[in-house]
Amino acid sequence: MSEQFRPPVRFPHLLAKVNAFLIVALALVATFGSIVAHKQGWFVKQTMIRVVTPDALGISKGMPVKLYGFTVGSVSEMQLVPGGVDVQLAIMTEHMPRIPKGSRARFARESGVIGASVIEIVPGKPINGELAEGEQIDFERSRGISEIVEDFRRQAAPAFAELKNTLAQVNRSSEDLGAVLHALRTEAEELPATHRALRRFITNADRATVQMTATLQSVQRTSDTIERTTPALAGKLATTLDSVDSAVVQLRQTAAEAQETLRGVRPVIDRSEATLRDASEVFSAAKRVWPLSDAMKEPADATLPIDSFEGQAAPGPVRP
Amino acid sequence: MSPWGRAAAAVLLCAGCSTPPTAPLPPVGARATDANARAAALVRAGDFAGAARRYEEALALARSVEDVDAIAANAINLSVVYQWLGRDGAARDALKIVLEDPQRPYSERRRLQAELRRAMLELASRNLPAAADFAARAEARCARMACENASALLNVKSQLMLDGGRAAEAALLAQAAADAARSRGERSEQANALRNLGRAKLAGGEAAAAAAVFEQALAIDHALADPRKIHADLLDLARASAAAGDREAARGYLERAQTVSHAAGDPRGAHEMEVELKLR
Repeated sequence: MSEQFRPPVRFPHLLAKVNAFLIVALALVATFGSIVAHKQGWFVKQTMIRVVTPDALGISKGMPVKLYGFTVGSVSEMQLVPGGVDVQLAIMTEHMPRIPKGSRARFARESGVIGASVIEIVPGKPINGELAEGEQIDFERSRGISEIVEDFRRQAAPAFAELKNTLAQVNRSSEDLGAVLHALRTEAEELPATHRALRRFITNADRATVQMTATLQSVQRTSDTIERTTPALAGKLATTLDSVDSAVVQLRQTAAEAQETLRGVRPVIDRSEATLRDASEVFSAAKRVWPLSDAMKEPADATLPIDSFEGQAAPGPVRP
Repeated sequence: MSPWGRAAAAVLLCAGCSTPPTAPLPPVGARATDANARAAALVRAGDFAGAARRYEEALALARSVEDVDAIAANAINLSVVYQWLGRDGAARDALKIVLEDPQRPYSERRRLQAELRRAMLELASRNLPAAADFAARAEARCARMACENASALLNVKSQLMLDGGRAAEAALLAQAAADAARSRGERSEQANALRNLGRAKLAGGEAAAAAAVFEQALAIDHALADPRKIHADLLDLARASAAAGDREAARGYLERAQTVSHAAGDPRGAHEMEVELKLR
């Protein structure tokens, strides 16, 4: 009898090969998925906290949340609420102890005004305790570039105006500058002549110094002469002073005599004063005796006349 | 009887008729009288600032001996001199010494004088309600207008009426003041009354009658030789002439008024006249 027919096998052990391929492929997909999930933080425990912002411009899902520049979470959810937009931040739980109650979130850019947008956590004081799951923290928007530019423009405008004025003044003064340079050039051209004049002056000064030396010698001779003459003059001066002294003594004697004379005259003066006083009293008494009293009567009422003219206004202007 | 005997008899007769001398003034009183007399002399000489200093000295002396009448007299005098110096506030303060001190026994006569002076001050300052108030107080002390300052009081009332626009009543009061002053021989007040009467007539549209009255006032003021009043009369005459349509006469009076101001050393008045003349 013949052997059992066996169909030809083009791909022997194909099933095993396919199964092996599928297993490897699944393993690769699982590995890749694990890596992606790990990268996405699916295996990291996260804590949700919330911020409410009046507008969510520039905030998007997945935006990193940073603490001290270090990424600690991301924006996980956003939804409209009556006060604006409720933004949920997924923070890695392991970093939550660094974000105590009283912390604030703010919209910022990583490199000044043009970097990537992030939400930065500004931690509060640790004594306030840890934030709980779902708790809300304050949110503040940083200034946008347009606001910064506007602020800069407002502050820089006066400075630019000053600069403009200064440049205008410089432009005006440049006309004078030409005249100044011309005058300087003229002066510089005259410098050699000045130099020659100075040299002549120095030469003259030398000559004058020689003459001065001769003059000083003459002065020296004169002073020697005075020195010799002084004793004679001093003697004459002493004689004059003696004469003055005797004259003073004579004057003193005369004054003493005059004082004696005045002492003798004093009673006469006193008596004259008393006589005059008596005469004044007699005269006063005589003034008060009739008929002289009528002629020399003191005004009984020394009031100035009360004249109604003092109340009269000046007449008004003359009108035809 | 020989001439010597007759002379001796005449001397004896005079000695018999003479009275014993009155008691001399105490020293402070004598100094106060002296200061007062010097002040009056300075007023006559036109030195009002010096007169004010003397009256202040007399007032202080009177206060030092509590001579009530002298205090009041010097206060009133001071108010007059201060007003001449243009120091109206000081003039009011001086009068307050009499007006606002009910404790001191000032006589009714002095109180009346002070109230009358205050009314004049207020009138000159155009404070008519206060002037009317003080005039009324003075009038209450002047029974039936028989007091010594009655004509001045009537003149003040006449001015008040005139300033209040009541020309007819002002004319009646001025006429009464003129009559009272004439009967008392107060020529100064008579001239003031005539001036008021003329102004009242002028306000009533009687320019010719007003000019005649002003001429009478001018005649009296010429006799009294008071440049301020002569100036006022001439100015009033200029107004009356202008109102009557006689521009030449008005100009003539203004020129005379200007001359008087110049001569009296009143540059302000002279300048005003110059302005008036230019306007014409």
